[in-house]
Amino acid sequence: MSLRFHWMFPKGGEVAMKTAQETSRVLTTKSTSPAALPDMEGWTHFARSAEQAGIESVLLSFSRYEPDTMFVACAVGRATTKLKFIVAYRTGMHQPASFVQQINTLSALIGGRVALNIVAGSSTEEQRGYGDFLAHDERYARADEFLSVCNSFWRGGEVDFDGKYFCVERGKLLTPFLAPDRSAPEVYVSGHSEQAQQLARARGSCWLRLIDTPEKLRAPVARFRERGVEVCLRLCVICRPTREEAIEAAEALLPTDDIGRQERGILARSDSQTLKQALAVADEVGWLNRNLWAGLVPFYGSSAITLLGSPEELAEMFLEYKRIGVTQFIIAGWPKLQEMLIFGRDVLPLIRDAEQH
Amino acid sequence: MSLRFHWMLPKGGEVAVDAAQTPQEAARYRLQATSSTSPAPRPDMKGWTHFARSAEQAGIESVLISFSRYEPDPFMVACALGQDTEKLKFIVAYRSGLLQPTTFVQQTNTLSALIGGRVALNIVAGSSKAEQRGYGDFLAHDERYARADEFLAVCNCFWRGDGEVDFDGKYYRVEKGKLHTPFLAPGRSAPEVYVSGHSEQAERLALARGSCLLRVADAPGKLQPQVARMRERGVEVCLRLCVLCRPTREEAVRIAESLLPERDIPRQERIVAVKDDSQMYRESSAANGRGDGWLTGTLWAGLVPYHGPVWTTLLGTPSDIAESLLEYRDIGVTQFIMSGWPELDEVSTFGREVLPLVRRAEEGDEKRGA
Repeated sequence: MSLRFHWMFPKGGEVAMKTAQETSRVLTTKSTSPAALPDMEGWTHFARSAEQAGIESVLLSFSRYEPDTMFVACAVGRATTKLKFIVAYRTGMHQPASFVQQINTLSALIGGRVALNIVAGSSTEEQRGYGDFLAHDERYARADEFLSVCNSFWRGGEVDFDGKYFCVERGKLLTPFLAPDRSAPEVYVSGHSEQAQQLARARGSCWLRLIDTPEKLRAPVARFRERGVEVCLRLCVICRPTREEAIEAAEALLPTDDIGRQERGILARSDSQTLKQALAVADEVGWLNRNLWAGLVPFYGSSAITLLGSPEELAEMFLEYKRIGVTQFIIAGWPKLQEMLIFGRDVLPLIRDAEQH
Repeated sequence: MSLRFHWMLPKGGEVAVDAAQTPQEAARYRLQATSSTSPAPRPDMKGWTHFARSAEQAGIESVLISFSRYEPDPFMVACALGQDTEKLKFIVAYRSGLLQPTTFVQQTNTLSALIGGRVALNIVAGSSKAEQRGYGDFLAHDERYARADEFLAVCNCFWRGDGEVDFDGKYYRVEKGKLHTPFLAPGRSAPEVYVSGHSEQAERLALARGSCLLRVADAPGKLQPQVARMRERGVEVCLRLCVLCRPTREEAVRIAESLLPERDIPRQERIVAVKDDSQMYRESSAANGRGDGWLTGTLWAGLVPYHGPVWTTLLGTPSDIAESLLEYRDIGVTQFIMSGWPELDEVSTFGREVLPLVRRAEEGDEKRGA
């Protein structure tokens, strides 16, 4: 099987932004940020470029600072033909039946090009603004029930479920999940905690986690693959003709102290084990190996762990992950569009070439 | 203010784009729309786009997209169809027990920003017990209204946008809620909210939290007190009805009667039995006892006992229909959501034959008033 490459979808206004600093979470979460508004012009341009670059899907993130992911997928999906949409959604906000009805409708409207990234929750503060007062561990128990009900709807027939968080009696929905080769969406479950991993194995089709060194990932990836669940890594990429140029480009992204301090504040308030682990790594080591750098994490968040180097080095790194069983990647870069074009032009052909031999 | 005319969005597979469809065929389609073999559950962009453009041309302001387990999600449909249209607005029906209000507002606001603000809401407290339980909702009828009231209260707080939202109710609790994506529309910072239902709770909910009460048409004389109550409190009234317009009254009546079932359907099989909780359906069931079903000279409820209250039909010549609509305006009704057999033909007839008469009369009144 060929490796599958997805890209982070830019936030509103981001396609026109030139620097990493402009796209930082600190600025995104300000009420004046253009991230709050849909950006059909920028998005359509980006989406068509992604299709041309050989990117399979885009991941749309969910937060109170951004437009709703499902509707963005619907609008951009109607303006594209190949690109798929991995829609992030949190599980405490909907009855599973109405959630499935929305997903199924979306699938039918955009030729089945939709997958889910199920997130159990975010910071306690943000969850409470959404009316969710459960503690971290309970959110996973609820997410498990949620996906269990969703999966019952996707299997077909009447749905009966009597759980702690959800009850459904003789549920039925006539609009099916419509895709050329599937009757249910792929479900990516993200999170590093033990509960997230259990949820991914029990209810998901793919575990989505941050990149780490191949040595560290080998054992957990093997455990997932044994159970028939794929593993997808989140990472950033900086590709330049030489490693030295890539490092130079990476260091140029280091922002002002101000953004660093505020981002650290966001990280510290989170319940997420993923974020805590990533911050610890960044503080302790910085370089995870010759091509994997955590130096941007304190400024841009945990997903800023960056694979950098020449096209050949990057292609070889991706193939190394493939050898330990990783099958998919969700990538970001700065600026998002340019780095994606470089990836599609310089890195992807090397990988595809190697995969054929 | 001019009367505002909306239309029902046809269901999937209902619009015959390239072929003619008889009123009988259209009626049969609608009666079978909840069967598992109906095309209604599938989105039908071709038929919908065709209808939407015809509605825009006919002078129709909005389409109502209904919500049920037999159909695609109306929000998503509005999002897709909104990309392919320019003027038409979408009144999206949604039930209040299915998601957190914060999420609901985020979805509505996102949709508004994607389609130029052309979205309004039709909030429904619930449907039959069986259908509600299939959605995970086990509350009784009256409690659903109490929940819908809290739901809209939270939504309205977000739309007021005067800072973080805190709410501590029986059904919903929100702490320091905020959403950055605003409701974006020319001239509005919140959607119009149509509340539908015939029960006292529905009327209270519309008064407290809505901008318009949506109910089935009845004789102007019967509606007058309720309409006056609503208008006094600044809430509009919108009537749901079917329209059947023909060159002569006889022809309209003949076609309407041809939609009656061939044999009398035993009472227990009627749709009325299914919607056990609905005041609207209980009332329409009672209307069955009124003899021939004529509520006025132009308003016929003859189809209601068989197919439900929304089959209440205004029929006659273009001027019969225009006059009847103006009578509703005289008692304070401001909006209508219509339907016909087939939707496509009837909306075009309405736009061509009836609407100009209504507009001309409105202009005449304006001049006389000035």
